[in-house]
Amino acid sequence: MNALDATKVEHMSFIQENILWGLPLILLPVIIHLINRMRHKPRQWGAMQFLLAATRSSTSHSKIKNWLILAMRILAVLMLLLFLSRPLVGGWMGWAFGGAPDVIILLIDRSASMESRISGTDKSRRQYAIEMIRDAAEKFEDKSQIVLLDSVTRKAQDIPTASSILDLPDTQPSDTAADIPAMLQSALDWLMDNQAGTAEIWIASDLQATNWMPKDSRWQNLMTSLNSLKQEVRIRLLATTQDSPMNTSISISELARSHAGETDEIRLMVDIKRTKTNNDIESIKQTINGVTTELEAKVIGQTTRWRHSIEVGAQSGGWGKLELSADGNPQDNIAYYRYNEDHPIGGLVITKSQLGPLWQVAASVATSSGRKSAKLLKPNEFSKSDLGEATLIIWHAALPEGDSANLLREFINEGGRLIFFPTGEVNTTRFVGLGWGEKQTAEKEPFKIGRWDEDQGPLANTDEGLLLPLNQLIVQQRQQILGQAAVLAAFEDGQTLLSRQTIGQGEVYFCSTLPLLTWSELGNGMVVVPMLQRLLAAGSSRFQQKFMTETGKVSAGDMQLEWTSVENGQRGDLNTQAGVYQSADRWLVLNRPANESELEQVEDKVVAELFSGLTFQLFQAKRDNTSLQSEIWDKLLILMLIALLIEAWLIRPKINLESDATTSNPLPKITT
Amino acid sequence: MPEDKEQPLIEADVVGRLIGQPLLARFPMEGTVSGHHRSPHRGSSVEFAEYRNYVPGDDIRRLDWRVFARTDRYYLKEFEAETNLRCYIVLDCSGSMGFKSEHGIRFDYAKKLAATLSYLVINQGDAAGLIHVNAQNNKEIPPRRNASHLQLIIDSLNQSHPKGETKLIPLLHELAEKARRRALVIILSDCFCDRAELRDALQHLRFQKHDLALFHLLDPLELDFTFDRPVRFVDMEGSQSIVTEPATIRAEYQSELNRFLEKLQSDCHEFNADYRRVTIDQPYDQVLANFLNERAGRNKS
Repeated sequence: MNALDATKVEHMSFIQENILWGLPLILLPVIIHLINRMRHKPRQWGAMQFLLAATRSSTSHSKIKNWLILAMRILAVLMLLLFLSRPLVGGWMGWAFGGAPDVIILLIDRSASMESRISGTDKSRRQYAIEMIRDAAEKFEDKSQIVLLDSVTRKAQDIPTASSILDLPDTQPSDTAADIPAMLQSALDWLMDNQAGTAEIWIASDLQATNWMPKDSRWQNLMTSLNSLKQEVRIRLLATTQDSPMNTSISISELARSHAGETDEIRLMVDIKRTKTNNDIESIKQTINGVTTELEAKVIGQTTRWRHSIEVGAQSGGWGKLELSADGNPQDNIAYYRYNEDHPIGGLVITKSQLGPLWQVAASVATSSGRKSAKLLKPNEFSKSDLGEATLIIWHAALPEGDSANLLREFINEGGRLIFFPTGEVNTTRFVGLGWGEKQTAEKEPFKIGRWDEDQGPLANTDEGLLLPLNQLIVQQRQQILGQAAVLAAFEDGQTLLSRQTIGQGEVYFCSTLPLLTWSELGNGMVVVPMLQRLLAAGSSRFQQKFMTETGKVSAGDMQLEWTSVENGQRGDLNTQAGVYQSADRWLVLNRPANESELEQVEDKVVAELFSGLTFQLFQAKRDNTSLQSEIWDKLLILMLIALLIEAWLIRPKINLESDATTSNPLPKITT
Repeated sequence: MPEDKEQPLIEADVVGRLIGQPLLARFPMEGTVSGHHRSPHRGSSVEFAEYRNYVPGDDIRRLDWRVFARTDRYYLKEFEAETNLRCYIVLDCSGSMGFKSEHGIRFDYAKKLAATLSYLVINQGDAAGLIHVNAQNNKEIPPRRNASHLQLIIDSLNQSHPKGETKLIPLLHELAEKARRRALVIILSDCFCDRAELRDALQHLRFQKHDLALFHLLDPLELDFTFDRPVRFVDMEGSQSIVTEPATIRAEYQSELNRFLEKLQSDCHEFNADYRRVTIDQPYDQVLANFLNERAGRNKS
């Protein structure tokens, strides 16, 4: 039976499991049958040839009957044994024929998505899972060692009694994301360190794809290691995939401070995701430095990137949060941010072409003392340059290699933005898997832009909802972009205009044409300027990562400090709780990982494939019977009686047997 | 089998009853001396056979002068010759002949038949011989007419026991070839062998113009198959055994057996062999009386 089929069997476990040791007793009817055969009185017989002929032709029928009788007797004994062992059906424990394992490792997903409420109840998926696990583990606590491994700490701890897992701090809600392969790795390490015997790993998770990462290369190594363990390891997965009430999540993807006239403003890029679309207005509570106001955001479709500006005047710095009203998951309703006095942004242009000044202007930054042009460097000067305030690098030269490439990678990882423009030369060099292909020139009709991402990225619509005029852009020449990347804009013939690759905190863009009239009309500034300005602002996350990060990703150094929540003045657990924290003059903003808002779930089939080779059982709380386990001994008793009745009917004596036996053979007459 | 030895194979009162009726052959026999049985040759008995034309060389003393006086032609009046009988009693000594039931042992029954028949044959001046058919070796006592020969047969019968597989068929073929003169061959067997092969062997004997009588000895239990509980049947001529519920296979068994009997009987009828089905619950003297009477009656007709 493969792992997927295993998910479809009726689940059953036993209260009196020891009685199952008596299962060999089902062979009793067979043994009795064999003894009976020996017991038959032997009769010396001469007319064997007729006996053989008679048994040959008549036994096919009687053999079936005999087999049926034997089967019914075996069935009756089996039902009796099962009845005595008091089986339970339903629930997620499934068949427990393997008996109690030596150790049960509980992998509890405490990620924010597990706080989704289950429709029709007031329980979260995490609470449901923990209660199910507690109920199941109670039956094993006398026989098996129970070890808890939660998604936040990923540290194994012994559980004295199954009921205690409800109140343990390590099973409480958190604002983190779960890393299932890493949890399994910790479980594997524990098994190897402790040289445990037979083990069962019980996983409780909502199958969120960003937590499971089924394409992660770690899975393969993990399964190889688990399969090569000497002891038997069984996996039970409790998938809490039940329907949840309508939920909306909020997260801040970008934050920039800019000078607009005489006052400063904070520009926030807020991502709002909804499980269902019901209204177009989402009410948001905004808190800035402790002062709360109500806002309304216009939301279109399931996923919206909402641009929000906050005037902060000449304030040196502060913190804020955006909060949604209560919904299906209370854990993803708040996004925190902090703005500093100075959010330095700056452009860096790397080129030796005549376009250098154009880039410098397009990537200039408004400061209190007027506009500041981007810095211009030649490609050979780059590797020695200081990237200090740069948030965007425009690279219009041959693709970087060696030290330059390493420096750029580091810059992107930190959160910077990098955009490449074509030189027209074909080169085999690649950067993050992307490179330049052949240069193409329009023959009769110019190349036209077919589609672009209007919702997000540098070509998204303006705050007022206006389109960038890409549809009017005429391109005469372009250079093909090679490699796999997200396409943000494409020509009508399917070729890419702008592609994006995300690396670490930052992003790399490839644009396939130039703002030169021989190439395109990009030079009129209607597209290229907003595009580069947005990238400049987005790149400022490079400087925010020092004080804005995700829960669970706080550096070890910071963890040593004593942090106080700015909201309530109490000490907070930086590992699990999002919020704005302060330690002396250091600030730290922790948000729930953005990928916790992703709705995609791993399919059953994919999960079964991940665990191929291991004994794996999947219990889908959404699909399988979620009712509590119930005893079915009465049904087994009825089945036993039915089996015995059928057996009695099959072995009933023939009505005319007696009279038949005394009737002599009507022999053929002898003719003379 | 001590009780068998105590019981005499020939019972005086039985032979006393049977002795009045001679055992006659159904076909002309070729004997060496004169006797009660028809011969294929012409002889000097009182039984008129035919008239035939005189040919030179015939003894003129045998001319029928009355016919000559009436017709002026030379005719010879011929009479049937009567000769003695050579009787081979073939006793099947295979394991299945030892079948035992409440009605007795089949082999004992067969021995009594053989002994009484031998007595009757020798008593009427004919020659009786005995052939034991056994898996190990066949023992043959050639036909003789003298009274001391009977003792030899009786002793041989007393010493024989049923054992092993039947070798009846090859023996019958051998006998058909070996017995050059016409003889009466009486077979005492349960015939639990291949029917087609048995048919060929009997046909072979008949082809050699032997008079054939087959006593097919069956036990009523074998015919009726009356068992009321499962039984382990062990083959008497091999090691095979079958555990079965007789009630479930009874009809099938009887149908197989009856088909066999029917075919065997029709085979015998086809080439004029004297087939006699005998169930061993029948008194053997009655069986023999019927046998003798029917033969005598046939001869008279």
